[in-house]
Amino acid sequence: MSQLAELQRWVVQHLQSRRALPQNEAVSAEARLLLTGNDRLSPVEQLEIYREQFWLRHTASLVEDFPGVGGILGQSEWEGLVESYLAATSPQSWTLRELGRGFAAHVERAADVPHRALVRDMARLEWCFIELFDAPERPPLDLRKLASLPPDTLETGQIQLNPALALLEVGYPVADLRRALLEARLAPDAPPVAIPDPEEQWLVLYRDADRRLYHRPVGPEAYALLEGLARGLPLVDACQHALDRAPAHAERLQSHVGTWFQQWAKRGWIVDVVPNLTPS
Amino acid sequence: MDFFEIISENFMVEGGKPLFHLEQVLGSYPLVQHGVSLGIGGPEPLDRDYLARLKQLVRKVSPPWLSDHFCWCGAGGAHLHDLLPLPYTWEVVELVAERARAVQDYLEVPFALENTSSYMAFTASEMTEWQFISEVAERADIGLLLDVNNVYVSAYNHGFHADTFIANVPHDRVLQIHLAGHTNLGKVIIDTHRGHVIDEVWDLYRATIARTGPVSTLIEWDDEIPDWSVLVAEAEKARAVRDRVVQATPGRAPRASLAQAAVSASGASSDARSAGHGGPRELAAREPSALGEAVAE
Repeated sequence: MSQLAELQRWVVQHLQSRRALPQNEAVSAEARLLLTGNDRLSPVEQLEIYREQFWLRHTASLVEDFPGVGGILGQSEWEGLVESYLAATSPQSWTLRELGRGFAAHVERAADVPHRALVRDMARLEWCFIELFDAPERPPLDLRKLASLPPDTLETGQIQLNPALALLEVGYPVADLRRALLEARLAPDAPPVAIPDPEEQWLVLYRDADRRLYHRPVGPEAYALLEGLARGLPLVDACQHALDRAPAHAERLQSHVGTWFQQWAKRGWIVDVVPNLTPS
Repeated sequence: MDFFEIISENFMVEGGKPLFHLEQVLGSYPLVQHGVSLGIGGPEPLDRDYLARLKQLVRKVSPPWLSDHFCWCGAGGAHLHDLLPLPYTWEVVELVAERARAVQDYLEVPFALENTSSYMAFTASEMTEWQFISEVAERADIGLLLDVNNVYVSAYNHGFHADTFIANVPHDRVLQIHLAGHTNLGKVIIDTHRGHVIDEVWDLYRATIARTGPVSTLIEWDDEIPDWSVLVAEAEKARAVRDRVVQATPGRAPRASLAQAAVSASGASSDARSAGHGGPRELAAREPSALGEAVAE
């Protein structure tokens, strides 16, 4: 390794330290050899400026990305969780947008996270919103093109979902909770937001044509159908997948699938239908 | 406003509001691109995926030039999202010049590097910062983005004369100038891009323009952002200062070829969120909390 690379690795190692550096005599001694200092700041104090900025920058980014998680935990628990995340997971990407990619998984394994299942679901929800915010654009379903397709295309072809759509199964009403927490932040005198009871929900998260983000709970059978379509299954197979996943709702599935298709196309959830070109 | 500057990384995405807003602005104003994550002096090779995405954005924006910083951003796979200062050694001159030339060739657009504000300096340095950036610019045949506020900040933090810095860089390579406010904490000045440009920096700007001629100038104000009228007034002040100096400095040679495509004007940064001391500010365009109402099925 070159001297330059060695020096840079030394800096990176210490900038990610959780503790202030000036109290560390060994680091201070190394800094005296590597950094100049000046008449106002010792070498290690110069390094400390960058260490503080590392933590401020990355915690601020996570605060912005996960306001719901922060709202559930409160300041002290939130700081502990974020510190343990950054200590366990060095930022790797050139963009801060990626910083929270592993946050929900970290919630699973971090020690002593209050309301762990709720916090994990909130982190998953908030990461979905980050992904949807700048997901690719697709034009809405072209109804003229759809009308020109062979009659069996809807059943056998691939119904493509909007890339700015995500499916999320949660054990708590986290989308409503998040909204309540964000509103409470704007009204400091409002009573604290209560932690909700568990409630299984199947959410469709999506970005509409105006590029606003939405959440919409759906039934388990509609969710399973969308899940099948998201996997690229033709409609018939996707229906079978939904029946397997939600057998108790078979009747509703069969009676609603046509209406759902129309609604989902109107909302921009379905953006294309591609004929299956595999020879039978 | 004659032009805006975007932080490239904010728009190296697939879709959504960032690209929508970008296209709106592109329809009405020239844009220049400014990056914060290239890490040209880092220990690992440059990130090819990053460069490919950057080139994709260059094709969309068609900027007259593109810039990043004389810095490094991480090591060992970690990206710290900071503009870390380099040791000013001949080894680093060679490394950065080689990469800068390669970046300019790959992106097929004039490329400039910006002097950063710094808060630490390395005992390994073999030359001054202005010698370092001059050597790199000449060897790589690239432009300079001269941040006059950063010169002032680093001069205070490291005890050199800002005028000496300004006097000793290759003036014909200056493609663009940055001006900004900062925060003086006594022991150190932090480049916060907050508040008005201070008088001493305006003086340094005058001294710069007297040497460079009428270079496009941008006000960076991305923390505690004021009303639009305040921003416009700051940009107008830069224009007036520049024009007065140019008029009072007859016989300036025409700008070097690198600057021919420039919009010769002042503008305000479109970068809406600072992440501390002038470090990466790549979340400017993100507003993931903008949730709309939906009716349950």
